Order: sequence, then C-alpha cells, then structure tokens
Amino acid sequence: MIFREVEDRDLIAKASRGHVDAYNVLVSRWEKRVFNYLLRLVRQREDALDLSQDVFLKAYQNLKKLDDPAKFPAWLFRIAHNEAYSLLRKKHPEAEMTVEPRMAESSGGLFPIESTLAVRSALERLSDDQREAVVLKVYQGFKFEEMAEILSCPVSTVKSRLYTALDLLKEALAPINTGGAPINMGGVE
Amino acid sequence: MSCSVDLKAYAVDELPKNERGVVEDHVRGCQSCREELDRLNLTHSALSLLEDEEIPRRIAFVSDRVFEPRWWQTMWRSGPAMGFASSALLAGAILAHGFARPVAPATMATAQVDAAQIEQRVEAQVNSRLNSRVDVAVAKAVNEVQAKQAAELAQVVRAAEVQRKADLATIQQAANYYEKQIHRFEVASNEGPIQ
Repeated sequence: MIFREVEDRDLIAKASRGHVDAYNVLVSRWEKRVFNYLLRLVRQREDALDLSQDVFLKAYQNLKKLDDPAKFPAWLFRIAHNEAYSLLRKKHPEAEMTVEPRMAESSGGLFPIESTLAVRSALERLSDDQREAVVLKVYQGFKFEEMAEILSCPVSTVKSRLYTALDLLKEALAPINTGGAPINMGGVE
Repeated sequence: MSCSVDLKAYAVDELPKNERGVVEDHVRGCQSCREELDRLNLTHSALSLLEDEEIPRRIAFVSDRVFEPRWWQTMWRSGPAMGFASSALLAGAILAHGFARPVAPATMATAQVDAAQIEQRVEAQVNSRLNSRVDVAVAKAVNEVQAKQAAELAQVVRAAEVQRKADLATIQQAANYYEKQIHRFEVASNEGPIQ
C-alpha cells in the first residue's frame, strides 16, 4: 500500500507536468473504483461510464490544483461526487430509474442470487445521500474525514447519514442475515 | 439501547485500537450490544455480496500536440488575470483620454498645414513617376510602330523589284518578237511579191 501510494504520487507529479501516459496509468488504477462508485449513485451504466470519463478529464485539467498528492483519492471522488449530483439534479424528475439486475453477478454459491438482488434493492431504497455514504464507506473504504471532504460536509453529517443507512439496511436485510426467506422490503422506508 | 459504545463505528472500522478494545470488552458483558453488533456485521457481510463491476470500456487519453499550449500560451496563462487587467486599464485610459481631452486649435492648424504639405509632396511624387512611366510607354510604342513600318516598307520594295524584273523580262521578250517580225518582213520584201 505504501509503494502504491508512492507510485501514485510520482504519476500525479508527472501527469501534472503534461505526461499523458503517466496519467493514463493513474486512470487505469482508479477507473474501476470511480466507475463503480458512480454506478451505485446514478444506477445507469452508460451514465456512469460517461461520468467516469468526465471525471478523469476534469481531474487531468485540474491536477495542478491538487496541493497534496496523498489526498488524490478523496479529491478524485470529490470530483466524481460533483459530477454525479449534477446529473442526478438534472434527472431528478425521472428519479425512478430502472436498474437491470445482472444475474451473472451473484457472489457464487455462498449466498443465493436472491440475496444479491435483495442487497441491491435495499441500497436502491436508500436516499441518494445515505446510499452514497454506504458506498464511500463500505465499498470504497474511505475514512469519515475523507468522506467529509468528498461530500463537503461535517463529519457528524457523514456519520449521521451512514448510521441511518445502516439501520435501514440492517432491517431490510434481516431475513438474509438470519438465513430466512426472501426479504420484505417494506420495512426499509 | 442505552449503552454508550459506538457499535456502528466499530463495525465499519472507524475506531482506533484502544477504543476497539473498549467496545470488545463491553460486548462480552452486554448481550443486547453483542446481538446488535452481530446484526451489523452480518449486514456488512451482506452488503459485500455486491461485487464491483468491470468497467465496460477502458478510459484513456491521447496526447495531441495540436491541443497542447504553446510557449506563449503558457507564458500568458502564468499571469493572465494581471496582464488582462493591466491591458484593460491601459485601453480604458487611452479611450477616456481620447474622449475627454480638448483639441487645441493651433495644433489642428499645424496638423492641417502638415497634411497639406504632405499631400503636395505625395502628389508631386506621383505625377513625376506617372510622367516618366508614360514617357517610357510612349517611346516603346513609337519604336514598335516604326519597326513595323520599316518591315512593311522593305517588303513592298522587295515586291516592286520583283515586279520590275518581271516587267523587264516581258518587254525584252516583246522586243525580241518584234525584231524577228521586222526581220521577216525585210526578207519577204527583198524576195518580191508573194505569188
């Protein structure tokens, strides 16, 4: 992890001097994470992909403004957050977006496929803010302080959103947790 | 739940090591907190069922020198705000000066005199150059006409000479003919009347 951070730092320094190849390496390291973060926010693959490209383009254009390369992940996700919310605000009237479940993505044996769908469905029932807090913490592994930077809000707000989301998810996923029948999502809201 | 330990922070790995120990000690003796922590851990495990997707298309950027800034663009971008502001200020000052400054009559008169002199000088120059060009063009045209006339004259002279020689030849032939005829008459008269 330390080596990874050092290499990222070198790549950032080189890319900010105009080395596109160095930037491409950096992109290849982060594109999957950014794409999945955006996908869980906007819930449309094409939108998530388009946004990912915009995010990395904006990041390249503003790379010189990044004071501390160690903060690159939070800085990058801050850009991604802004892009995603810009799109969500535009699309708000059509907030009931369809999400096509991908049956091939089940975790492979340990849990039934219904569990994956139930988790996906439970996440979709959360508000955008709550879901983003879960995504940043559980799927992206950011610390509260980093999440506060990304979301431009106090740490207390971050904790509040995440804890509320965890309570809702805990109830919604209780049948899975106890090995019961497929969940009843009515309890989420 | 009345316990003060932050189980959610523990479950999402946000507590420092010493505080984690405090929570673990508490959970050992508190059944409700233990059950709550179990539920949180199971929820966390359930959430991890969703795996990251592969990105459908790789993102890559291409270096294009056409779009790279030139050296002067780089220089300009180093302090564009200051440069632009100073330029705008200077332009505004010049504009304001141009509108606000009263025009002195003497200066205007001098300027008019200067303009008249310049105009005369230019006109003289133009006339001089124009005349010389006209002279050259006229001389060239005259030469061409003269050369053409000389050529035509020479041709006429040659034709006249040819004609003259042809006429002389014809006259010579006629003279010879008449001389032969006279000679024939003389011979006939000497021999007597024709029978």
